[in-house]
Parts: sequence; C-alpha cells; structure tokens
Amino acid sequence: MTITQSSSQSAYSSAPTAAQVESACRFPVLFLAFSGGAWLFAGLTLAALASVQLYNPTFLEGCPWVTYGRLRPAAVNALTYGFALQSAFALALWFIARLGRVELSSPLGLAVAAKFWNVGVTVGVLGILAGDASGHDLLEFPLYASLPLIASYVCIAAWALLALHRRAEREMYVSLWFVGAGLLWFPWIFATAQSLLLGWQVTGVVQAVVAGWFGQNLLQIVLTGSALAVLFYFVPKIVNRPLANPGLTRAGFWLLLLIGGWGGLAQLASVPAWIPAVSGAANFLVLVPVASLLVSLWQTVDGKVVEAWRANVTFRFLLVAAGLLLLSVLRTAFLGGQSTQYTFFATARTDIVLLGVFGLSALGALLHIVPRLTTGEDELPSVGLTDLVFWTSLLGVVGVAAGYSLAGLVQADVNMNVTRDFLKDGIVASAERWMELNLSAFGYLKLVTAGYAALTVAALAFLANFGLAVRRCFVACCGGAR
Amino acid sequence: MAPQLQLGALAPGPLPNSTEVYPPTRPGLAAQGAEVYRSLGCAQCHTRAVRQTQALYGARLNEVGNSPNTLLLPGLGGSDPKPVNLDLLLALATIRPDLTIAPLPLPPALVGDTNIVARLKQFADNVALLKRNDTKVGINRPTSGPSVNDLAGKLPAAVFERVSIEAGERAVKYLSDAGAKAELTFYNLGPDIERGWGARRTVAQDYVNDSPVLLGSVRVGPDLASLATRAPEKFAAPWKFASTNTAAEFERHLLVHLYNPRVLAKDSTCPSAGYLFNKQKPEIRAAGEPLTVPGTDAPVFPKHEARALVAYLLTQRVDTGVAEAPVPSAPKAVPAAAPKAPMKP
Repeated sequence: MTITQSSSQSAYSSAPTAAQVESACRFPVLFLAFSGGAWLFAGLTLAALASVQLYNPTFLEGCPWVTYGRLRPAAVNALTYGFALQSAFALALWFIARLGRVELSSPLGLAVAAKFWNVGVTVGVLGILAGDASGHDLLEFPLYASLPLIASYVCIAAWALLALHRRAEREMYVSLWFVGAGLLWFPWIFATAQSLLLGWQVTGVVQAVVAGWFGQNLLQIVLTGSALAVLFYFVPKIVNRPLANPGLTRAGFWLLLLIGGWGGLAQLASVPAWIPAVSGAANFLVLVPVASLLVSLWQTVDGKVVEAWRANVTFRFLLVAAGLLLLSVLRTAFLGGQSTQYTFFATARTDIVLLGVFGLSALGALLHIVPRLTTGEDELPSVGLTDLVFWTSLLGVVGVAAGYSLAGLVQADVNMNVTRDFLKDGIVASAERWMELNLSAFGYLKLVTAGYAALTVAALAFLANFGLAVRRCFVACCGGAR
Repeated sequence: MAPQLQLGALAPGPLPNSTEVYPPTRPGLAAQGAEVYRSLGCAQCHTRAVRQTQALYGARLNEVGNSPNTLLLPGLGGSDPKPVNLDLLLALATIRPDLTIAPLPLPPALVGDTNIVARLKQFADNVALLKRNDTKVGINRPTSGPSVNDLAGKLPAAVFERVSIEAGERAVKYLSDAGAKAELTFYNLGPDIERGWGARRTVAQDYVNDSPVLLGSVRVGPDLASLATRAPEKFAAPWKFASTNTAAEFERHLLVHLYNPRVLAKDSTCPSAGYLFNKQKPEIRAAGEPLTVPGTDAPVFPKHEARALVAYLLTQRVDTGVAEAPVPSAPKAVPAAAPKAPMKP
C-alpha cells in the first residue's frame, strides 16, 4: 500500500520498515484502543441508565450512587477521559509511528503509563458516583483522580512527542499537525482548568468561565482535531489521491487553533454581556476553518464518494463523522445562543462531538488499525460484526443527537413562553412527544435512550471483533511479527 | 484572562444606602447543604441563574402635592375634604388621552369662597381648552369610563406601566411640574421573572460566596436561584401557607419534596432523595422533628444532610437589588410573603 500522505517518497536508509514500525507500537496502541472501547461500553451503559431517569424518575430509585445527578456526569466523564482521550492517544501514537516512520522506544513503559490513565479514570468515575464530583462540566473528576491522570498524561505525551522528534520522515503531514497540536493543547487546558478550579479556586462565576473554556477547547480543538487527523490520514489513502488543497488545509488548521477555543461561553448567564457575545461570534467564525478543512477533503475525494463508500467500511464512518462535524458547528452557530439556553440542545452538542464526530472517526480508524496490528490483514475477522458496529453506531449517534436536539427545541419554546407550563409542556412533553403527536411510549428523550442502547451494542460488537482478532493473533503466534 | 481581570476581584460588598453586605455569608448548615447539592449533582437538572429579556419603565404618582391650584374640596357624599390638585388633573389628562377628565362641580358649601369659585372657573376653561386641543390633534378622548380624577384619588397610582424610559420620564416631568410627587418605576421582565423565579436577573456578584459555582446548564427542573423567595402559587404544584409560620412550613414543604417529589407535583421527574431520611427514629439526641409525608402513615426522620440541603435551598434568594440589576421598589412588584431563611445553630 502506498503512503500517499508523505510528500517525498525518499526512503532513508536507516528508516525502519512499516513492519518494524507497527511491531514497535503494537502493544501500547492495542492496549489504549481496547481500554478505550471498554470505556465506551461502560460510559454508554451509564449514559443509557441516566437517560431513562429523565422520564422515569422511579427507575433505580433509592440509592444515591445511581441517581441522575451522579450517573450523567459519570457517563460523560467516562466517555470523555476513558473513551475519547484514550482512543485519541492510541491514534496519536499510531499516526506518529506510521507517518513519522519511527519505532516507539520501550513500548511496555508506555503501556504502563496508559494503565495508570485507566486507573485514574476508574477512580474518577467511582469518585463521581460516590459523590465527590467537582461540579464543573467535563471536569467532574475529583482532584485525587485528576492528579494520576496528569501524571500519566505527561508520560504518554512526552513519549509521543519524543517519538515525533525522532521521526525519520521529516516532512510533517496534516494529520501530524493535528496530533501534535492536540498533544500540546490538552496539558495546557487541563492543567490550567484544574489548577484554577480545584487548586487555586478562582472567585465566583470566573469558575464557570474557566470550565466553559476548557470544555470548548477539549471538544473543538483536542477531540475535533483528533477526528480531523483521522479524516486527513484516511480519506486521501482510501481514494488513493494526494491531498487536493494543502494551502487551504494549512489555513484551516491555524484558523481552527486560533478561533476554535473562543466559543463555548455563548450560553453562560450571570456574566458580563461581552463574554457570551464574543463567544457567539466565535461560534460563527469557526465555520470558516471547519468549512475550509472539509472543502479540502471534499476536493480530494471528489467523484469517488460512492465508490469509496462501497469499498471501504472506514470511509463510511468518516463520511458520517465529517457530516456531523459540519452539522455540529452549524447548529451551534445558528441555534447555540440565547434561544436554546438551558435546554437539552446544548447537551446534544457534547454528545455529538464525543460520540459522533470523534467517536465515529475513531471507530472507523480503529477498524483499520486493529487488524493491521493483530492479524496483519486489512479487515477485522468478522465482517458481519464490523457492519453491525457501523449501522448501530450510526443509528445510535443519530438517535442521541436528534432526540436531545428535538427535546431541546421543545424546551426552548416553553422556556421563552411564560404561558406554557414549564413542567407539563416542557419536561413531560419532551419525553412523550413525537413531532405533533403525543405518544407516551416514544418521545424524544426515549429516542435518546434507544440511541445510547444502539451505541452500546456497537461498542460491544467492536470489542467482540477486537477480541476475535487478538485471539486469532495469539493462535497464529502473534502473526509471526514478534 | 480578561474575565479574571474583570471579575476575579469581586467580593461581598456593602449595599448602597445600607449597612448590609451582599451577598451575605451562608450560615453553617446551609454551607453544608451546598456540599450536598454538589454531591448529589442537583446542578445536572437545575440552573441557578435568572434571565431577564428586557426592562421597562413606568411612572408612579405618590402624592397630590401642593401647588397654588391645590384646593381642599369635600369629597362626594359630604365626606372629609380632600386636597385636589387642579394642575395635576390637567397634566394627567394631557399624558393619558385614554382617560376622561370629569368636571369639578362647585360644592354648595363653598359657594361664597370667591377664590375657589375663580379657580374652578379657570379649571373648567382649561378643560374646555384641552378638549378643543384634543380635536385639533385628533385624540378621541372617551366620554365615559375611568377618569383622571379617579386615578389621582387613589394613591399611590401607577400612571404608566411597562412603557419606554422616554414615556416614563416624560410623565414624571409633567406630574412634577404640576406640583405632584411622582417617581420613575421600572419593571424587570422576562419569562423567568414572570414565572416567579426571581425579582431580577442574576449577576456575577450573586455567586462570590459559592465554590464551586454551580450555575447549571440544563433546566430539567425549575430554576433555583431564588427558590426561597418564590411565592407558593408560583410552584409547579401551587400550594398555600396554612399558618403564619411560613418559614417552618416552607422547610417542611421542601423536605416532603425531597422525600418524594411526586407527592406534591404529580408530573415531577425529580428523583426521590429518600436515602436522606430515616424510617425509624435514629438513636441520636439530635434526631430532629419527624416529618409527616402526605399520603403515608408512619413519619420519617430527615437526616442531617436533608436538613442541610433544605437550609441551603432556603438561602437561595435573588431579591436584593445591586447596582447593575436593581429590584423594583414597588411593594406589589416584589413577590410577597417571602419567608426568611431559617437560621439554625
């Protein structure tokens, strides 16, 4: 397979071969990817249980550990730190190893650091369930869980950046820009937010500003950036063409870094008015980098969409993820202001980025990476399970996104209209309404539960397929590579 | 950085024209309740932020005042004489073309008072002039219905409600020029405020005593920023104070809501916090009073956490005006019967 990404094909005499590169990064990447999949399953289960309580409050009643106020943050943080960031590390290591043509040194140590990350996430999720949540969106892990996370992250990122430094392929491809930016961006925002919120404890609403800034940077720059790295790696590779418009891509990359982090405070109340105003403007401006990046991808793939969709399962994931990326920035730009404040519409955005934009791209990428690192084949052992992962995750993401968004619009209407009853027209209706019909059996919020359930099935199918591949690898004595 | 530079130094400060400090420090039990609020994740469903879409103005007439044309005329039916400001009546008629102006007949007892007779004659002429002016500029003043005389007779009177600041200030100027005492009033408006969730929008100053600041981002339940000042009829399931001990009753109401929200509001989707209550009387001295939940026989005993959480909720008040978000001073505009937060040792 040709590496269409590298601009110069000049092979260094000392550069390792693809097989050597893959064998060196195999263990940590597989470990991170499998743990990520496991956290995806765990987080989605928690999210599904939490969503049931939105319309059936007696469900799991009587135990504070599983009350909605703890289940929901536990789910979101498990998905963010357990699944999303962990998979992002796996992808980052793999991109650095492949695109930089570099062997990771002492991969076992990296796996130990990854293990510590998992310990941190486990402690954090249990801490939230036990009632130690910090109370800030996407930063709910208590301090005693955040410290091991930071320590483990420092190891993983230092390893990755050192590998990046030692790369044989000196020219950095677009995917590596995003990977490198994410690796440097995350410690900055995470350490800043944690020290300002849990350590130093800034006064009053500045806390909400800091938490909002962190959440926006995490979703829009780190995770969306990771998804874009996947898109820019796989799309040209699958259609077997070079990247069509490097100049536009470069502009998009820098503009995204410049503008992407400014949104996220557009719905904050009780702060000086300029903060939501600046944020709302940034939500519009970010359309420019996202559009330019997507246009560049579209020019690359132009005319071969249908062909690639049929031929390659990874491409299907990526196409949906790219569509969701465009959709998510559009809906935030046009409807993300005062009108949908305090509704599920904003909740939907976190889920769309975590599970849709990032989740689908990561799953698509891992469906390519995992078989190469285990069996050495191009696809996972079970084609049926791979198809199941695609369709259930697609349905699940659409269900969650549409369910929360539509429920949010129902709520927004009630919020703004004092003649409507807040409880009956807003909350109960969002669980029992479907367009103009009143259905107690199937409303928007129930669609969300169904979506989470479908995604849980997808996570299970992915893990099963992963397990099959690993088993086959062991049976064949690790594919002869080690 | 900019938000921190602007807001980071905020601290509880004195209110203008008072010795009180706002926001006040939470009493110990309520401060513990804040931890329960955070720990149970109440902020996942409840916001603590009141929004305001606009502010409108009005003019309120407080005193008839003392102009040269203020006469002491006996009321209808021979009651005690009341001061009537003739200039004020004309000014009211000018700014309120939707009201009639009633003629003032000469009371029989004052026929001999040449001063009053002349003033009333002058007034009748002025009214005639005003009506001629009405027809000239095309105002169709009704001939019957409420009159400016009625308006000026019952004080304090809202001359204008919910109008632009220009209209409000113009009215106040007219009334003051006529010698009356009038003031500019304002109205905080928006769905949240009309729902009774607070008297004004919340501002950064309201949260300087909080850490962590739990603003909340989704309203699955009503806003709690000003729960302690919410009138009973503004709840999802309206209720009424049965006794004069409103503070104790409010506390009991909230405890029952925590124990089982669906006892009070049938459609509530709030999860029950039954784990904050003991079924049996606990073997401690500070067991507290038992709580009788409507519809059940055996009383339950709220744990310390439940009482702390309720104490915290009862400190949630947004009814103090601050410089950037004042609260209307009218006694009617502020939700009445706001119970005081119970101060517990």
